[in-house]
Amino acid sequence: MTFLHPWALVGLTAAAIPALLHLLERRVPPDAEFPPIRYLTEAERQSARRLKLRHLLLLILRTALIALLVIAAARPLVQSRGGGAGAGGAHEPTALVLILDNSPSAGAVVDGRPVLARLKRVARASIAGATAADRVWLMLADGVARAGSREALLATVDSAEPAWRRLDLTAAVARAVRLVNAEPLPWREVQVVSDLQRTAFGEGRASVPRGVGVLALAPLGQASLNRGVAAARVTDGVLGVTLSGTSGAGPAPLTVRLRGRTVGRMLAAPGASVPIPLPSVAPGWWVGDVALDPDELRSDDRRAFVWRVAPPAGVRAEPAAGPFIAAALAVLQQGKRVVEGADVAVGERLQSEAGKTVLLPPGDPALVGQANRALATRGARWRFGAAGTPGPVATASLAGVSGIPVARRYRLEDIGDGERGSGVGGVVIASVNGEPWLVADGDVLLLGSRLDTAWTALPASPAFVPFVDALVNRLARGEAPVAESEGPPGVAFQIRGADTVGATVSGPDPRESDLTPAAAELVRGTIGAELLDEARFAAERFAGTRRADVSGLLLALALLVAAVELGVATLTP
Amino acid sequence: MADVRRIDLLDPAEVARLGGIEIVAQGVVEGFLAGIHRSPFRGFSVEFTEHRAYQPGDEPRYLDWRILARSDRLFVKQFEEETNLRAMILVDASRSMAWHGAPTRLTKRAYADRLAAALALILLRQRDATGLITFDEAVRQVIPARVKTGQWLRLVRGLLDTPDGRGTAAQTALLHLTGLLARRGLVVLVSDLLFDRALALTALRYLRHRGHNVIVVHLMDPAEAELSGPPEVRFRDPESPASVVVRPRELARAYAETVAREVAAWRAACRRHGIAYHHVLTDLPFGMALRLLA
Repeated sequence: MTFLHPWALVGLTAAAIPALLHLLERRVPPDAEFPPIRYLTEAERQSARRLKLRHLLLLILRTALIALLVIAAARPLVQSRGGGAGAGGAHEPTALVLILDNSPSAGAVVDGRPVLARLKRVARASIAGATAADRVWLMLADGVARAGSREALLATVDSAEPAWRRLDLTAAVARAVRLVNAEPLPWREVQVVSDLQRTAFGEGRASVPRGVGVLALAPLGQASLNRGVAAARVTDGVLGVTLSGTSGAGPAPLTVRLRGRTVGRMLAAPGASVPIPLPSVAPGWWVGDVALDPDELRSDDRRAFVWRVAPPAGVRAEPAAGPFIAAALAVLQQGKRVVEGADVAVGERLQSEAGKTVLLPPGDPALVGQANRALATRGARWRFGAAGTPGPVATASLAGVSGIPVARRYRLEDIGDGERGSGVGGVVIASVNGEPWLVADGDVLLLGSRLDTAWTALPASPAFVPFVDALVNRLARGEAPVAESEGPPGVAFQIRGADTVGATVSGPDPRESDLTPAAAELVRGTIGAELLDEARFAAERFAGTRRADVSGLLLALALLVAAVELGVATLTP
Repeated sequence: MADVRRIDLLDPAEVARLGGIEIVAQGVVEGFLAGIHRSPFRGFSVEFTEHRAYQPGDEPRYLDWRILARSDRLFVKQFEEETNLRAMILVDASRSMAWHGAPTRLTKRAYADRLAAALALILLRQRDATGLITFDEAVRQVIPARVKTGQWLRLVRGLLDTPDGRGTAAQTALLHLTGLLARRGLVVLVSDLLFDRALALTALRYLRHRGHNVIVVHLMDPAEAELSGPPEVRFRDPESPASVVVRPRELARAYAETVAREVAAWRAACRRHGIAYHHVLTDLPFGMALRLLA
């Protein structure tokens, strides 16, 4: 037997009060004259045995009454087969981390009710079932384990709203298990109150040692067919929109607005990426958004994007650059994408220190050494190496270029730490056979092949002109960085002086859009928990050391003893 | 139905507030006699002396039926000793008698004084010689039985002049007064009987043996009949250092049984020896008490 409030047992010393009063005769009775004292003496002599028994019985009853009340106040717990805290019983001191998943997906509305409302109700019941002897933490989607009094945690639960941060349940459970496992309490428990999205389970598996119980609330029914805007990024004047969502959700109309003006409409299904050409606009920062029709989860129906339109670059091409470059630049010049100028030079030689250079390998292998010396003089970390093997181009930042074969090339070698420079997508922009093929190194863009059909099929492909456009306008001049972060849909600009030097586009994690619940096997395999419906969850919480609180029984017994005492004291003379 | 204006039937404490013993006793006796219309006490002699004409109130049993048969006139027979009854009233003046269970009640001694005075007045009115002995552990007052004028006032004075005593040794006093009662007569003992029953009965039996008619009036305050009081109290005996701590509520039943047993024992013992015994509570109206004695 254990006690919820063992300090109350100090009150057991009060059980000695009736005996002490009886023994010490503390009360001084009043004096009175009474002539027939001989009758009293006789009556007392005849009743002595009965009175002694009565006094003894009263003493026992009163002592027992006090002892029962004190023990009941200490809330004794005994082993029980009945329900746990949820069933009205009590439990041994428990270290508990309650994970309340208020990630964006918890804002979904199912059967007319927000998922989060159900989660909060269950979480509230769990915290309310905790006792003063328990150690309780509350972990929300931000992953912070909050300790505090029961009332404070209840207030936190009540005030919880759908957050903009995704919760990785695997990592959260792993942290929670470590936290409770460090507590020297008889039982340790992690309760996962979540919509249990399949995508909420990250990589790996949470290790759950013996002595730690993990409970997971089972999701309600089937997943809603939700769609969300997973990504919206502008590259070279084209907005790439990717949709995410629950498997099986059909296509949905999306609308693209640029500075509030609708500039495009499209029908797309989750998983699809669609390019939407943006209209020609004046140079500057443009903010727009992509919106879907409202569905069960509203927080992922809109995503902002930012588009920086730079002024046309001034380009000068050396004759050695070849006819294909000259032709491409002519097309771009005609389309007002470039102008004659000295911003960017394209050729076999490096431009003066102030300008940018797209450096092609020399046609004559004997001039490679000269080119490398020039690069070294400029402090470049990259150089032309030996001839490389043919292969297709692989790149993520240049549309339409991937897969185009390269027949002849020089390897590009990093002679420094390889981290210097600031190209889009890193230093290496494109590669062939896993070896760098297009590299940004400070003011220099190094290409492993000449832009000639003898070296690569790129000049003969439709992607060549956009490739040259990207080389001179975007890659060579550099782009203002646009970062992405989790948060409410929006754009925040970084300002330096009077210039806007970058932007951060925020939105929910695309994985939140897939509301497909995790299978029981996945839950069991990653966090070692069984899925429990609400009733079983309530019954199983604090169930590791389930104890029954017998204080009510003791109080009833005390009441009975009090009634017997009253009867003996009043009804028997 | 009792006449509520008769003070002999009123509460003794209220009656006592009307005045001193004389006034109270006279009022009680007047009311008492008016209620019964006849002499309550009669002589003990059986020696016939003369006839006299019947008067209303005379006992029919004393009618001379022969004269009635012969002359059709009513005559009653009178006897030698009819007016020469010698009555001696013994009043216990011990310390225990000076006690009452509530301020609204008379002490046993006050009740006994008034009852004795009333009884004496009745006896003297019917020309019975009446005397008084008061006693505690010793005989305090002895007023021989007389029938002369002023005897009642002497008796009353004797009662008033006897202070409350300390202890009680009734058998000593009773034995002493047997020597004072040479002629047979009526002995009325008014006491709370808080003394050794066996020894007291020895003396009373001796009186009875000497031919006296003995009446024992056992006075008791109602608070002595039923135990009550605070939850716990130390009771002290006024006549001795003895004391006892009791819880009246838990001892009440046993006490009541003990008192009932004691009263029954007195009654049985008295009956066994031809002694009249009356248990009188001090809240009993005087008229009712006198009727017990009649």
